[in-house]
Amino acid sequence: MRILDLFRMSSSNLLRRKLRTFLTVLGVVIGTASIVVMISLGLGLRKSTLDQIEQYGGLTTINVYSNDYYGSSSSDDETKRLSDEVVEEIAQIPHVELVSPKLSIYVMAKQGVYEGNFQIYGMTAEALRRMDIKIGQGELPPADGGLQLFYGNQILTNFYNAKKGEYYWETGVLPDVDLMNDPVFIIFDTDAYWQSKNNDGSGQTTLPPKKYIIPTSGLMEGSLEDYSENAYSVFADIDALKAQLKKVFKNKVIPGQPQTKSGKPYKELYYNELYIRVDNMDNVQAVQQEIKNMGYEASSNAEWMEQMQTQMGTIQMVLGGIGAVSLFVAAIGIANTMMMSIYERTKEIGVIKVLGCDMGNIRTMFLMEAGFIGLFGGIIGLILSYGISVVINVVAKDYYQGISYIPLWLVLISLVFAVFVGMAAGFFPALRAMKLSPLAAIRNE
Amino acid sequence: MERTREPVIQVKNLYKIFRVGSSKVRALNGVDLTIYRGEFCAIVGTSGSGKSTMLNMLAGLEKPTKGEVIISGQHLEKMNENQLVRFRREKVGFIFQSFNLLGTMNAIENVALPLTFRGMNKKTREEKAVKMLKLVGLSKHMKHRPNEMSGGQQQRVGVARALVLDPEIIFADEPTGNLDSNTSAEVLRLMRKVVQEQNQTLVMVTHDNHLAGFADRIFHIIDGKIVKIEEHSEHKEDEE
Repeated sequence: MRILDLFRMSSSNLLRRKLRTFLTVLGVVIGTASIVVMISLGLGLRKSTLDQIEQYGGLTTINVYSNDYYGSSSSDDETKRLSDEVVEEIAQIPHVELVSPKLSIYVMAKQGVYEGNFQIYGMTAEALRRMDIKIGQGELPPADGGLQLFYGNQILTNFYNAKKGEYYWETGVLPDVDLMNDPVFIIFDTDAYWQSKNNDGSGQTTLPPKKYIIPTSGLMEGSLEDYSENAYSVFADIDALKAQLKKVFKNKVIPGQPQTKSGKPYKELYYNELYIRVDNMDNVQAVQQEIKNMGYEASSNAEWMEQMQTQMGTIQMVLGGIGAVSLFVAAIGIANTMMMSIYERTKEIGVIKVLGCDMGNIRTMFLMEAGFIGLFGGIIGLILSYGISVVINVVAKDYYQGISYIPLWLVLISLVFAVFVGMAAGFFPALRAMKLSPLAAIRNE
Repeated sequence: MERTREPVIQVKNLYKIFRVGSSKVRALNGVDLTIYRGEFCAIVGTSGSGKSTMLNMLAGLEKPTKGEVIISGQHLEKMNENQLVRFRREKVGFIFQSFNLLGTMNAIENVALPLTFRGMNKKTREEKAVKMLKLVGLSKHMKHRPNEMSGGQQQRVGVARALVLDPEIIFADEPTGNLDSNTSAEVLRLMRKVVQEQNQTLVMVTHDNHLAGFADRIFHIIDGKIVKIEEHSEHKEDEE
């Protein structure tokens, strides 16, 4: 028998009993929709959690710290300091895509009456590019062309009116600072600055340190309310920052850097932190462990994420399970409808058997009917799920963004699954139809 | 009957024994018969005589307990169900007492149904069906559903369906059982005519001696045994 004829016969059989077919399909519709909506909720929850983690420092990022905290000179164990050598070494670890030193220094910035305190992070140009920083104005700090600063979108809240002592936190008034267009003065030697301010008249006056005009390369996108990982950060190119620091401090110890026993600075600058990107979030933990084995502190979101993943997995399984129950009930409905249909059509099946219809064809015909029920139920169920999903998203908009999320693979899998469930439910009825005796046809009632 | 007599159906020592509770019922009790190509045979018997069982065996719908059924060289008793279905699809046409047309299909589709099982495309099989329906005189009822036709018309559709395959053998199980006597005669004459034209073999089961009179040969069957074979060498059409 041709496939098209099988198709035609089974679909006309379904159309013959419209109400019954409709009710059976309805069961599948509800089953499919409940599974899809439940899974979509799980996926949406997972997605929003991952987004959240991303906001707090990325999924593939590892931060490495030295055990030797902030320039404590007590430690003689120089090998544990984060030097350029260590950067090279870590770059050799498999799955590590990028290693960048992160040199930080506290500075004070001045513009007009406003002053601000913050840290400048010196990183390699490549790392800055890879950090997914959204640029609002200008560009990231260029690798050449001297020291330039790139400001986070919430950095303005660090400025305060030095004359009146008004802080943004208290007044809520945005400091009148234009980082992009007006010159910003940076004081690197903040210790000297405070000392010069606190001259107690003992005669030992400290000269105020030199102020430097540091050009701004760009600003991060976002308003003052948009928190992200780097909203309070100020970035610079590491080499430019190093050069600047050497120029400013000359032979003095740069704050935050270790010093020899005699209080002299080392030749090399050590880093406070290393920034590492791993190729895949599944490899984060392994790399992190390896770095720890090397004797450094390393932190990432891997543990948090893993915990989240298992939690999400459980939630998804529970939700999917609830949906699966209704699809299972629908499957029973299909099996029931098919059995009924076979009892009704005993004679007809007998006739087509006497007329020479292949047993396999009879089975296929009934499987197709059951499969059609699954398919139509699946399609309508998916349309319904999209509707429900939209409604849920609108209702829950204030708490979650896109809490219900139906990706393409879910659409395909649920369709295939609905057809499969239909055919599985129709399998035994179909076998039964195939094995019916042709004698039923000639028995005359 | 002086033409070359080529046996189409050979039955040798055929037994069919049913078990009803602890007792055995011998539906067929050692039947031997031979039917030749182009013959119109009738198997006549009262109800319970085993005539329907006989037909079922010949059409491969039931397995014999013992004995051989050889139809155009093939041993039916050795075939499995799939082979039997294929055998029916290729060699056999079947006419039922209660017509057994599919209610969802019109006349053309019903007639074309056995061709569908052969995997013939829609166009060819419907052309053949139309031709067949014209042959049985139903050119005006092609698009009618079974419930829009009289019994006689329905049985003509049934006849057309059996013949459309161009089968070697046609089995008819009380083909006129649900028809009045005028229509019965009409249908039988039609069957006879078509079968003779195409040199097909027709085996009919009936309990009605009068209807059996249309046949070339009549097998009388009583209690699972053939008791008498009647030959009508010259058929008289004196029923009118």
